[in-house]
Amino acid sequence: MVPRPPGGRYATGVNERHRVTERAAASYRALAELAESVEDEWQYVNDLVDAYLPSIRALAGDDDESSFAPDRIAAVDEAIAEIGLISDPHKAIDWLSTFPHVVALALRGDVDSPAGSAPAGGVSVGTRTGAGGVASEAGAPEPDDDSPFRLLLRDDR
Amino acid sequence: MRFQDAARDARAVVYAGIQADPLVARTAALLARATAAERLLARAVMNGERTDADVWHRIFPTLFGEGEGEGTGEDLRHHAELVLAASLEVANRGEAARSQYRGAVVEELTAQLLASRATSSAPVRRERRVLFDGVRAEIHPYDVTVESALRPEVYDCKWGARGINADVLNQLDDARTHAADEEIDVKVAIVVFDSRRSCELRLDRSTANREKTRLVALEALDELRV
Repeated sequence: MVPRPPGGRYATGVNERHRVTERAAASYRALAELAESVEDEWQYVNDLVDAYLPSIRALAGDDDESSFAPDRIAAVDEAIAEIGLISDPHKAIDWLSTFPHVVALALRGDVDSPAGSAPAGGVSVGTRTGAGGVASEAGAPEPDDDSPFRLLLRDDR
Repeated sequence: MRFQDAARDARAVVYAGIQADPLVARTAALLARATAAERLLARAVMNGERTDADVWHRIFPTLFGEGEGEGTGEDLRHHAELVLAASLEVANRGEAARSQYRGAVVEELTAQLLASRATSSAPVRRERRVLFDGVRAEIHPYDVTVESALRPEVYDCKWGARGINADVLNQLDDARTHAADEEIDVKVAIVVFDSRRSCELRLDRSTANREKTRLVALEALDELRV
């Protein structure tokens, strides 16, 4: 016998995670269709879509409910509204490389690596590095133990 | 190998006016002290359609949220507000000028980050050509140079990954190979105010020789300090 889910709240949370990431993915797909009209960039547009679309969908897999708090879901919907205003295909290309990272930051996720692979680090709030902090050679920021945001993401919290 | 100021054509004169706008230096200074998330905010706003600050507050709860555990703190939030305000100023310059301002900001940001390790014998300069004996000079200047006699550095700067193209990569690699012919080890790099992953997707399709050209993407701009 398959045990029942622990409660409606869990099921609602899972569904909402999938709904918001699917809305983001659908908007991203629509943005790509606009960008594809720049013939010289057709390949790059499709490379971006092939890379980022699975990563956007994979954000639903984060089981930290705080990543899908109402303000974070509202942030994704606001970002979706922003790219929905774009009518210039050249601007659409700019956003194809930006939107996934904006969504990932809002949902405290990562689209820096192929979906299903180990995270590359992503964009964290971090502390300022003006005093000499340096990102790693691979492009991922150095772990920042002082950042409350990092602390939230640690397994041992 | 030697560096030389680029000749100024009409386009360069117009662009120089944008480079000299105090907004460019101010925005770059804020971004030089920014977190990666603030830099992503700046990229989004300067690419954005809407110029209402509250819209961007809602899109970036990680930077502006009030909830427990947002992790921003007052000083981080204050700095994020300054980055947002400067980015909105750039966005408000209008569609025609905006792209030139964005390019100028990335160049100035690169120069400011490099300046933190500049010395009198390795000054950071802008819009410079690199000349080699017996080699026809490139028409386009390099955006930023570190003019050390021992370890010169040459940088091209782009707002987005889409700006990466064969011409840029070939010009950088040509500088490196011509310098090597003179037994000078010049570091060449492309600085892109866009995500590493987007840049790598672009580079993966390029057939230009880029094995020794370094990529400095948005997440790792602070590497320029060392």
